[in-house]
Amino acid sequence: MFNLVIGQYVPLDSYVHHLDPRSKLIGVFLFVVIVFLANNWLTNILMILFCFAGILLSKMQLSYIYRGLRSILLIVLLTFVLNLFLASGGTTLFSWGWFHVTTGGLTQSVFIAVRIMVIIVVTTLLTLTTSPIEITDGMESLLNPLKKIKMPVHEFALMMSISLRFIPTLLEETEKIIKAQAARGSDFTTGSLRGRIKAIVPLLVPLFVGAFKRAEDLAMAMEARGYHGDDGRTKLHQLKWSWRDSLLISALVLLALLLIFARN
Amino acid sequence: MDITFEHVTHVYGRKTPFEKLALDDVTIRIPSGSFTSIIGHTGSGKSTLVQHINGLLKPSEGKITVGNFVIHAHEKKKDFKELRKQVGFVFQYPEHQLFEETIIKDVCFGPMNFGISDAESTKRAEESLQLVGLPASFWHRSPFELSGGQMRRVAIAGVLAVRPQVIILDEPTAGLDPKGREEILSLFDDLHARLKLTIIMVTHNMSDAANYSDQVIVMDGGKLLLAGSPKHVFLQEDLLRKVGLDIPETMLFLNKVLDKAGSKDKIPAFTVDEAADAVIRILNGVKDHV
Repeated sequence: MFNLVIGQYVPLDSYVHHLDPRSKLIGVFLFVVIVFLANNWLTNILMILFCFAGILLSKMQLSYIYRGLRSILLIVLLTFVLNLFLASGGTTLFSWGWFHVTTGGLTQSVFIAVRIMVIIVVTTLLTLTTSPIEITDGMESLLNPLKKIKMPVHEFALMMSISLRFIPTLLEETEKIIKAQAARGSDFTTGSLRGRIKAIVPLLVPLFVGAFKRAEDLAMAMEARGYHGDDGRTKLHQLKWSWRDSLLISALVLLALLLIFARN
Repeated sequence: MDITFEHVTHVYGRKTPFEKLALDDVTIRIPSGSFTSIIGHTGSGKSTLVQHINGLLKPSEGKITVGNFVIHAHEKKKDFKELRKQVGFVFQYPEHQLFEETIIKDVCFGPMNFGISDAESTKRAEESLQLVGLPASFWHRSPFELSGGQMRRVAIAGVLAVRPQVIILDEPTAGLDPKGREEILSLFDDLHARLKLTIIMVTHNMSDAANYSDQVIVMDGGKLLLAGSPKHVFLQEDLLRKVGLDIPETMLFLNKVLDKAGSKDKIPAFTVDEAADAVIRILNGVKDHV
């Protein structure tokens, strides 16, 4: 029922897996910016090649990447069609009433579809090769300078990792409560809209009660184990910046330079 | 309402990397008016099995019959309301399903969902709450003010108020103190005896399974391993141990006594009284021989 791919981390032994989460986060961020430099066929092909290089280096099966893409395929298609009709320029290929498909519009919509897809591919690659814990660790470390201006970076990272950790638990809980109420004759799937909205209450109340109780238990358990916030807290897994990470960032800078030269 | 499973197979997450065979070709009959216990190691398919009885899970293969209601595999969407009216389900930690402002309203939730009038629902709710032993002074309070044990009684009353013919219990006594356990179990034993309800109980407690049931079903790795009277099942100690189960403590004790008396016999005794009688018999027997 809940086949969501949250926390879809696939542990493998590859170059991309061994990268420092910080370099991967910076890398994805840079990539998303660089994508907007591509504006002709050559530059778009370069972006696609870069993505494939990343996938190859991660040893990830293409089917996993496709699963990440599948959820946004509709959006890609929609923007493609909209652009096809709305963007203009070049010669007209086909027209029907008010709609005109032009060569300019066609290339424009292909570029935009490629842009969205490569962004999704790299972010999927990030979550496939980096465990949620690593991602939050990396975020915390990257945001560290903000502590100087009194931003609660550690607390923020903690909140994030706890929420990620409890998503599957809450989904499981939801499924259980749905079943329990269905056994008492509640119906979530059929009936009028009003009836269905009313059927949500017996689901939400126990879910919230459970979540609060769980939060209380967790807080108690953390205190019992001596958690006292950020001050003087050490980490089990220290992040290490290696030559691999420098290589990734260099590759991205190189890609950016190539794009700047090759774009129109 | 006889319940039969014919070659029922259930696969979780079919065609995903997480595919898991939870039930493997299970064929079993649970006669109307019986008290059946289902035992098995964690992950043996007990809960999956019972969730088929009221249509919470649908079989991947096979056929299930509950009274006149038939559930086939590969069937289109079906309305299970009529079935669920007949088959009550008390989940593990049922207190987690409470949500209403007052206890009485929460107990009325089931009957009202099945289209029973307000007045009749309230009447049934009051009866059920009396049955589970919750004093009337509580009825108009919030269920969230109650203790864990009391909440569980309210949740059970919520299932009883529908007046089902079959009641499924998924570890009904988990996390209760000994007195609470005893009370809950004798409540269902009484319903079984007095109203001829069919009770199906999933349990980890061998003594409970032995003491209350007419039939014990043993599951292992999604397969039906053993089914029969408590005596028949619990005499097969070696087989039970092989699948990570145990025999009731009274029998463990008797085994020790028999062992020390130099006998290789096995005596099925499930209550303390039966065990005491058996000990006397063994001691007399030993004396006779000496």
